[in-house]
This record gives sequence, structure tokens and C-alpha cells, in this order.
Amino acid sequence: MQEVAKRSDDVSDAAPEPVRPVAVNDDAVRTALAQHLSRISGSRTEITSFGRKSSGFSWITYAFVARSAVEGDRKLILRVGPPNGLFAPYSVLPQVYALQSLAGSGVPVPALVSSEQDGAEIGFPFFICAHVEGDVPAPWAASELDPAHKRAIARQFVEILASLHRIDPVGTPFASLQQGGERAEVRAIAGWRASLARPTARYYPLLDWGGRWLEDNCPQPPCRTIVHGDYRIGNFIEHSGRIAAILDWELTHLGDPHEDLAWAMMPTFNARSRKLYGVLERAEVIDLYQRASGIAVSDKSLAFYEAYALYQAAAIQMCAVRAFEVDRFNDMRLAVMASQMPSIVRAFERALEAAA
Amino acid sequence: MSASFERLIDGIIDALQSHVVPNSNDDFVRGQVFSAIYALNGLKLAADWKAGPLLEQVRLQDDTFATVKRLARGMAHPEIPATPRLPSDMSDAGAIEALRDDGDRRLGQLLLWASGADARAANRDLATEIERLLRRTICDQLKIELATTPKSMLQQIAGGDGSAAQG
Repeated sequence: MQEVAKRSDDVSDAAPEPVRPVAVNDDAVRTALAQHLSRISGSRTEITSFGRKSSGFSWITYAFVARSAVEGDRKLILRVGPPNGLFAPYSVLPQVYALQSLAGSGVPVPALVSSEQDGAEIGFPFFICAHVEGDVPAPWAASELDPAHKRAIARQFVEILASLHRIDPVGTPFASLQQGGERAEVRAIAGWRASLARPTARYYPLLDWGGRWLEDNCPQPPCRTIVHGDYRIGNFIEHSGRIAAILDWELTHLGDPHEDLAWAMMPTFNARSRKLYGVLERAEVIDLYQRASGIAVSDKSLAFYEAYALYQAAAIQMCAVRAFEVDRFNDMRLAVMASQMPSIVRAFERALEAAA
Repeated sequence: MSASFERLIDGIIDALQSHVVPNSNDDFVRGQVFSAIYALNGLKLAADWKAGPLLEQVRLQDDTFATVKRLARGMAHPEIPATPRLPSDMSDAGAIEALRDDGDRRLGQLLLWASGADARAANRDLATEIERLLRRTICDQLKIELATTPKSMLQQIAGGDGSAAQG
């Protein structure tokens, strides 16, 4: 464990730094992973084709092949929660609950292989799941795919969201994600406000003002459902015209279903289009979702959550800046995320005007 | 972009040393990378953010403070700084940035006040006018930042797709 958690030596001695972060060392992770899989399978396991993937900005993702005499070659995915990452400190529980509870449901997820909150051999929270064949569509650029193909995928995407929101969380591990009283939505806004108010974060007046408005005007949910928390184009795998797996459950929680719908329709995740995946009109999305979920969509709530989506996006960008600047998480992708702040904050101001 | 120029340079150097150098067996490519690292270390010693856009933001803030002070005369409001706040000989980007950040905090206090119950109770129409002015100014400030923001490369950054990664 100590080998994996080696101290980073990239920080200049000249600069007085309060934090000398623990860095995730890929070679040590690979060695520890082999030990872990050997232990839990009872069979010596070798790791091949091991490499870090660029997908995701939060957990560190590795793809690899686990080779053992008992189980042969298995293509797997390892996700590690770095101690100074975007949303550190990390918990594997939301993802584990999702992958366990939704297996075999109408919401396709990768099969969970192993997980450890205390890190076990690897030293950081991690989970291992099956590799799912297919492609992850790009949310930021218009794709060359046939529009009819994209329409079919977009419709499945909405129907799967409806399936997720139809699940009664009572009696599933998701129920334990509910903390305290009724207004979990308001507490979530307060949490982002607190994150933006950290003294190391740059102060944006419109976010301070808008955060107060959101907290004061948060609507009552029509029902409280499992919310994915990052349900968007780019967070699923499609294969042969079917959505094979919904990914990235780290922000899952119980809340207002409008939150997922608004997040999914953000132009940012749809190649700057107001249409879902660039093909499905907003009215069609809402109609399809209502029929599939049985949940009536409120225009007012949707407008609120569209503003909230931009507020969250801004807060996440600031988390990225903090991870890079203060916690010294060396991922250049986080360093450049904040360049999106001016356009996000301006879009937030306009969305708030529409929601008010 | 990252707020600290030095930290950004350090991050670029680390990305090159930790991820690019170990994965390149081509001597020429490695030579190019080490040259880039050397040049970056030079930039760290000699360069900083451009002061121009920061100055523009501070001046915009000052104009707004002066207008709000005039409009809010007679109302109880958060402290509004005397303007101009910028000494004529100030050229250090870090100091101007600190002034801009302080201006943002003060604009935020004024915006919260103008949209709050006390200001509305004192003079609803005037409070609304001040709120609108502040929101417009803050958006104009963001426009100045947008003008110095490169075209988005999220597609390449998130996917590691190298095509069209120029400019």
C-alpha cells in the first residue's frame, strides 16, 4: 500500500506549499491489482494490456486484462479514487450500490467484480467492473453518425432514464443515500454553495447571488427517485445500436427526477444543440419521458433544474481548479477546465432569468 | 484556465515528464519534449498573465461602482469603494488581479443587497435597476475573459483524440 501511495516530488521546493499530495503511481497500482485479484480469486492473476484511459475527469480509469488459470483472460476496468481528485475524498458506495442494485434491471450497467472502500492492496478506494464492448459517444462534438441511428439511441437513452426513475428506492441500498429530512435537494444546493465559498476558490458574484436564489426557490419534487447525477451523452456505451451500459454513477443520489432530465438536455453535452444528441426535440424528449416514466414534467421545475445544471457545472469546474491548484492533482485536463467558466456563468445568468 | 501562472507551467511540465516522456521511445520526440520543458521553465521565470484584460475589468468595475454610488444615494447599502482604485503606475498583473478579485467580491455584496428584501423595501424600482446594472456589468466582465479564452478543445481533451488539436 505504501509503495502505491508514494509522495509526489513535482512540487518546487521554492514555493511554500501546505500540501504535498499523495500521487497515484500506475506501476504500483498494477502490481497491487495483481495481488488483489489473485487474493480474491484464489488463483495467481497476471495483469496485461494495462493502461490509463482518458475517459472521465474524476476517478482514474484503467483498462486491463486479468489472466489466470482458473478464469482465463478477462477484460476489466479498474477505477481508483485519488486522494486529491476532483471530488475527493471518494466513496465507492454510490457506484457499488448502482452496479449491484441495477444488475438485471431495465437499466444496463457493467457487472461489478470487486470493490474496496478502504483501498485494500491498492491503497485508495477502488472498484473493478467488467469491460463492456462498444463505443462511448462524444458529447461535445457533432458526430458523423446517421441521424436515424442517433434518434434510436436517444430514445433508448430517455427510456432508460424513465426506467431508473420508476424504481422504488425503498428496500434498495440506494435508500441509505438519503440523509436527514425531506429537502435533500436544498441540502445539495447548499453543499455546492459551500464548495464555491471555499476561500481558495475564485469568487464569482453571479454564482453567489444565483446560489442564494436556487436555495430559496427550489421546487418540491413530484416524487423522490434515484437520480443518476451525471446522466448525459458520453456516459454510456452503445454497441450495435443498443445502449449496453450506463456509466459513471459517482454522483447518484435520491432527489427530483427533473434534475437528470435537465442535465441530459444541457447543450454542452449535446454538441451545443438544444436537441438531445442533436436529433431529439425537447418536446419529444419530455413526451417520451412522461409516457415511459409516468412522471409529469413541470415546465417550472425543468427550468429551475436547467439553471441548477449550469450552477453545478460551474461548481464542478471550480472543484477541478482546486484539485489542480491547491491539492496538486496533476492532471492538465483539470487545469484547463476552468477556461469554460465565463461562458458557463453567463449561460447560468440567462437560465436563472428564464427560471425566475 | 488555471488561476496561477506558475502552477500551470508546473502542471504542463509534470504532464510531459510523467506521461509523455515515459511513453515515447523516439529519441527525436524526447528531445523535442525536453526542449519544450526547458522553454517552459524559462517562461515560468520571465512571464506572467497579460495585464490588459485585467485592467479592462477593473476599469469596468470602477465605472459600475461610481454609477451604483450615484443611484443608491440615500439608501443604506454595503460599502462602495472610492474610484479609481487603480494607481496609474500599477503594472504588476498579480496586483491588478487581486484588485479585480476584490472588486468581484464587492460587486457580489452589492448584488445580494440589491436583490434582497431590505433594498426592495426601501425602493423597489431603484433596487431592481441597480440589480440589472450589476448583472449586466458582471456579464460584460465575463465577455472580456471570453475574448482571451481559446476555442474549446473538450473533445480532444476528454477523448485523447489528437486530430484538430491546433490553434
